[in-house]
This record gives sequence, structure tokens and C-alpha cells, in this order.
Amino acid sequence: MAYLETKNLCKYFGGLKAVDQVNFQVKEGQLQSIIGPNGAGKTTLFNLLSGLYIPTQGKIFFQGQDITDKKMNQISQIGVTKTFQITHIFPRLTVFENVRISAQSRKTSFNFWRKADSLEDINDKTMKILERVQLAASHDRVASILSHGEKKYLEIGIALATDPKLLLLDEPTAGMSPAETILATELIRTLRDKLNLTIVLVEHDMSVVMKISDEVLCLNEGRVLACGSPNEISCNEEVQRVYLGGRKEC
Amino acid sequence: MKANKENTSNTRTRSRVIWVTLAVFLIAPHIISTPLTTEILIFGLFALGFNLLLGYTGILSFGHAAYFGIGCYGCGIAVRDFGFSIWGGLLVSIIMGILLAAVIGAIAIKKKGVYFAMISMAVAQMFYFMALSPLKKWTGGEDGLKFIPKLSLTFPFHVDLQSSFPLYYFVYFVVGISILVIWRILNSPFGRLLQAIRENEERTIASGYNVTMAKFVSLIFSGLFSALAGGLFFVYLGYGPLQTLFWLTSGTILLMTILGGMHTFIGPVVGVAVFLYAQNKLSWTMERWELVVGILFMALILIFPEGIVGTIKVKYLARKTAAQEVGEAE
Repeated sequence: MAYLETKNLCKYFGGLKAVDQVNFQVKEGQLQSIIGPNGAGKTTLFNLLSGLYIPTQGKIFFQGQDITDKKMNQISQIGVTKTFQITHIFPRLTVFENVRISAQSRKTSFNFWRKADSLEDINDKTMKILERVQLAASHDRVASILSHGEKKYLEIGIALATDPKLLLLDEPTAGMSPAETILATELIRTLRDKLNLTIVLVEHDMSVVMKISDEVLCLNEGRVLACGSPNEISCNEEVQRVYLGGRKEC
Repeated sequence: MKANKENTSNTRTRSRVIWVTLAVFLIAPHIISTPLTTEILIFGLFALGFNLLLGYTGILSFGHAAYFGIGCYGCGIAVRDFGFSIWGGLLVSIIMGILLAAVIGAIAIKKKGVYFAMISMAVAQMFYFMALSPLKKWTGGEDGLKFIPKLSLTFPFHVDLQSSFPLYYFVYFVVGISILVIWRILNSPFGRLLQAIRENEERTIASGYNVTMAKFVSLIFSGLFSALAGGLFFVYLGYGPLQTLFWLTSGTILLMTILGGMHTFIGPVVGVAVFLYAQNKLSWTMERWELVVGILFMALILIFPEGIVGTIKVKYLARKTAAQEVGEAE
């Protein structure tokens, strides 16, 4: 049984077929990248998977459960959490609080009397996540002053705090310097290897895709163009024509 | 590495702010006019209730006069026409506040920014006009709620509410407990959730929270305390004025909250104190006192862009961080 699966998934905005009859599967523990030119439907697909959009047609299954009509907060509680392409952090809260409030989501929050800071298990979990995304030293800084790369790490930290089973990362290395990209790639690889997370990644940086993906899906104009191992995809003539450019002899 | 509990987060209000405030108000009526201090306490509670929604949840309401007014009239009618005690009247205020918030929430809580503000203003205006004319038999219309018997408290001991000091300390007691409750709520997991919603609603949903329900509950708390303040206003005046329902009351509470600092806990109370004190001192010295108060307000906002308490806090924290960094560098 596929861990995450879509069946004939469609999202139409009036006449525009943003996602058209997409069938794809992700196995548990896998890291799958989604590539494709701008406008291919990658972010729309992500928004369908995370519950931001309701599909026009088709179905989405997670661990065999039909999550097609579920809302975004319900899908997060089920175990699928996403990061946003443009960083979505809590700007005026501290780095610590950014992650802590996300971690708190797994406990009941209609608690009006306890001191939020006395939830020790959540505090410990938050610190561990901050160490993993290398933001422990900045934990009491206001999030808005972080650098762009640090904000992207914080974004990942916020997603990790929800104890996801499957992580949807939307262009996690966008705007990062080469050095930051290498570190981010390692971080993402660790999430799969050490934390056994299943990860679906939208990426434009092919070096990242080639380095860590188990499977690559290429979208074009809302449809699946090709799906296979990184090597197969980079050798695929159609993919080369539409997206990669150049010709690779395989 | 253990988290630094003494961090500079603006989400946490230290308890000493509360104790200092309560101590100040304990002695204040002996220093400045007692009726004025009583009004500051009442509108301070109103502002705290209002700011729960605005400063903490990020939702602007242009119709909070509805809660204040319904609390005032609710208490008054319960006492005058149904023979309720003062405590009973205040309980009626609270219940009316909760019910009204539930109704407005059911209609409008999912609406974005401006739309919620407009709907709340429309509802408040509706109540104003209902009190003015169709419900005149109950509310007294333009004249307000009159013919109130002399108010006094009999439980747990007798308090003569016609005298300014006993009346003040009764209001102080109710407001003091309310301040403590609001403080607990805002420092709780729920309070933090509200701030996350204010900072980035979409991210909060993406982390798994039912944001609509949280906003709804926030509105209930806000309506509850605003209505309680209205009930206290009735007890203080011994009368229920129609202005409590007027849009000007909604505007004034917004003004005072922003003046004091909407992203702090105690800012709204400070804003109320400064505004009412200035109004009191200037109203009988000049003909155009509203103009003077308006100019004063503009000047204060220019000097304190984050509100009085907000700006002081930001400057103090900036200096503290700079000192820390210098200390670390050495």
C-alpha cells in the first residue's frame, strides 16, 4: 500500500487546468522530489495534498485513509505537514515560541489556566528541534530578524514540531546561498534517515534533487510527464526538453 | 541547552506588572479623584476585554459598545425590574455579553478584517437604535435607564454603594479579579494560540489548529469582560446612559487601547488612565477641550508609536539587548 497516493487528481481554476489527472504514489520512508517548469502545477499539487485547496476531481489517500475533503488543520493532525514556499513564520514571536506553539498543537489548546511555559515536555521537544535545525543559539531572538536562510530552517523546525509522518517541503532551499543549500540538503537527508520521515520535496535546484531523492516526479502543464529514479529522469528526453535543458548522454 | 525562561519574548507578561497595577489602584483613589479612578478601572476592564480580541488575536471590532451597553442595560434592568441583587445583575451582564458574542461570532467570525469590523459596527448600531426607540419602554430611550433604587450590596457584607470609597473598592475587587483571570487566560496555551493567529493565521492552521474555534472563543471572552465592565458602569452611575451603546464608545475604547499599547498586557489600562485623566483636567478649563484632547492624542502617538507602554517596552528591551551584547563582547 502506498503511503501517500493520488488518484486522477484534478484542480481546475475556471478554464485553467492547474493539476490534471495526476496519479502518483510515495512509499513510506522515501524522499520524492517534484520538479518541473514554473506553472507546471507543483505548488498547486502541494496545496491539494496539504488541504489548502479542495480538488475539483480525484482522490488523495494517506496510509489508506481518504483525506480528499479534509481541511488543512485536520490533515496536519493526521500527520501530513507542509512548509510554505514563501516563509510563513510568526514574525514578532521569538524563535523558541515559533516552534513551541507549533509543538503545542499536538496537545489540547483550549486550556485557559495553565501557564503555557510550564508545559515542560513541549519545551524540551522545542529545544531538541531547534538544535536539529541549528537555531538553538537564537532561541530568544525575535524571528523577524533572522536571515533568509535561517527563516527557512525555522520553517522546517515549525513543521517538525507537529510530529509529522509525511513532510511536504515547498522549495526549502529557495534563496539560499550555496553553503546554506549544502547544509539544508544534509538536514533534509537526516530527516529521512534518522527520523524516518517520508518527504515530498518541490525543488528547482537539481543538485539537491539528484543528491537525496529516491524518486523524482516531473510535472508539466499540470500533468505527469515522467516518474522514476533521479538517473532515469535526468536522462529522459522529454524532461530534458521541457525543463532540464541540454542533452545528457546516458 | 535549557531554554532561557527570562527571554525577551513579548508574549509573556510578568506577574509583577499585575501586582504593581493592583497596588497602584489600591492607593490611587486617595491621590486623585475617586470617581475618576473608578471610571479608569471600569474602562480599563473594558479596554482589556477589547484588547484580548484586538491586540492578542488580531481581530478589530468597531462594535464593542454593544457589549458594554448590553452589560450596562442588562444589569440595570435586572436590578430595577426584576429585583436582582448587584451580584445577580453583574452575572446577567456576563451572560448577555457571552450570548451576544456567540451570536456575532456565529454570523461573522470567519469574515476577514474589515468585514468583521463593519458587521460588528452594524450590530452595535442596531442595538443603539433599538434602545433609542422600539424598546423605549424598557430602556428609557434617549433619557437612558432611570428610576433606579439606591444601590447597595448585602452579600457577603453590607456595602453602601452611594459612598465613593466603598463603591470604588467594590469595583476594584471585581476588576482586580478580572485582571487576574484575563492574565491567566493570556499566559495559557490558549493565549499563545491567539497570538500565533495574530502573527500568521495560515501557518497556525497548517500546524493543525482549529483557528475558527479559537477566534470564536476569543470573542466570547472579549464580550464577557466588556459586558462586565458595562455592568460595573451601571453600578457606578446608578443609571444607564444611552451613549454606552453609541459608536463613539466603540471608537473611544479603540483609541485608548492603541494609545496605551495594544501589544502589551497593561497598555490598554494605561491608555485609559491617560486619556480619561487628560479629558478630566482639560474639559472644564477650555471650551474646545475635545480639540485639545485630540491634539494631545496625536502628539502622544507620534512620540509613542507603539503606544505608551509598547514604546517604553521596546526601548527598554533594545537597551537591555544592547547591554547584553556589549557584556558578551567583553
